[in-house]
Amino acid sequence: MTLPVEILIALLVWGTLVGIDLVSLPQMMIARPLVAGTIAGAILGDIPTGLKLGVIFELLQYDILPVGAVRYPEYGPATVAAVATAHASAGVLGLGLGALVGLVTGLIGGITINVLRRVNSRIVHAAAAALESGDPSALVRVHVGGLLRDAARAAIVTATGLFLAWLARPLLAGALTTRGATLLAVAAIAAALAAGAAGTLRLVGRGPNLAWFAAGLGGGLLVAWLR
Amino acid sequence: MKLALARALLRLFAVQGSYNYERMLGVGVGVAEEPLLRDLGDAKYRPAVARGAHFFNAHPYLIGLAVGAAARAEHDGASPDQVERLREALCGPLGSVGDRLVWAGWLPFLSGLTLVGIALGAGWMAVAAFLIVYNVGHVALRWWALRAGWTHGARVSVALHNPFLQRAGAVLGPAMAFTIGAALPLTTQYLAWPFEAGARITFAVVAGLAFLALRWPGGAGHLNGLRLALGLAALALVVALVWP
Repeated sequence: MTLPVEILIALLVWGTLVGIDLVSLPQMMIARPLVAGTIAGAILGDIPTGLKLGVIFELLQYDILPVGAVRYPEYGPATVAAVATAHASAGVLGLGLGALVGLVTGLIGGITINVLRRVNSRIVHAAAAALESGDPSALVRVHVGGLLRDAARAAIVTATGLFLAWLARPLLAGALTTRGATLLAVAAIAAALAAGAAGTLRLVGRGPNLAWFAAGLGGGLLVAWLR
Repeated sequence: MKLALARALLRLFAVQGSYNYERMLGVGVGVAEEPLLRDLGDAKYRPAVARGAHFFNAHPYLIGLAVGAAARAEHDGASPDQVERLREALCGPLGSVGDRLVWAGWLPFLSGLTLVGIALGAGWMAVAAFLIVYNVGHVALRWWALRAGWTHGARVSVALHNPFLQRAGAVLGPAMAFTIGAALPLTTQYLAWPFEAGARITFAVVAGLAFLALRWPGGAGHLNGLRLALGLAALALVVALVWP
């Protein structure tokens, strides 16, 4: 992957914003892969690739219900890295390599979120006396510190993803035949679809919503068949 | 007080900024509540700020209810114990209502609609519509929660029984199930389109087996979408490199 510096910086900034949006600020859902991927595609001048990778990672996102303090992968910056990878290699090869880079980046992102929360816990614990005194400046300082650490974390995850994107092409693209690239893409997309379906069924449950899910599935199949 | 409410609302957008396992969202809640406590007077202000930053966890969009209610209770002269009990009592309901309404309703419903839109050729416009419509609901919910908390104070449970919340929860569940149900086959068609017939058959078989693995009883605790996808991608890569 060889991209102009200004495009790389734009992707890094976008990935960082996306990473912050996931939890810290303002949760307006630019962290959703659909949005992260489409804008990353627009930055690269390749919206169709951004949409396609966005859809793949959005399906994987259905596997996650972010309730309580549950741990989950981070698919926003991962989608940005995936789109950057896929843009460099055309067609099915791009999809497969992009998905692979995105999955690894998503795993790394999830780990960093957990590490950040542990670091925040220590800092909050250390600042307990100041917080218990009701000092508003101490309160704001601890909080803004958390926000800045999350921004740094998101930037590091995005940079790591873009680095993996840069590595992917020379390491893997030359070694893969068309059939191999197709197999990689098929595996990643099939897993995303399975995760999307399984996650949705977990959300829907066995109650009355299951009938609505079945009705939607039937309608979707009909439209797909008619097209 | 309008300015203080506006400040609190702005700070609520960053309520999870210092998310941690010790106080969860407590520090962010304290930061958001602080502007509403400034006119309490010196003797009450600092203890109230300290209470505001204690342990708290709930859905981030509905936390404004707790912030407004606790601040109002402080103004109404509630005892420290009463304020603490109010906060504790709100954690569970605000979490479950918000999760059902947003994470399991509004968000997946609109995401499913967007997937349908993209699969049917709406492209980036579907994504733009998703962002706009989602955030109209998002910002409205945050503002309503803060206002309702500030209006009702310690009697904030009245707001949680708002008929609109009940109706929205009842409608969004089926709507979410229907749209994602419709999105799955259309998305499959959209993603499978670049592949040739042989690859499509492999695609269907792998997706079916992967789905069964994820739904296998007892396996769900260890296997998730990411692990499965990484495992399959690694396997595909090894097969592709060994058997080109």
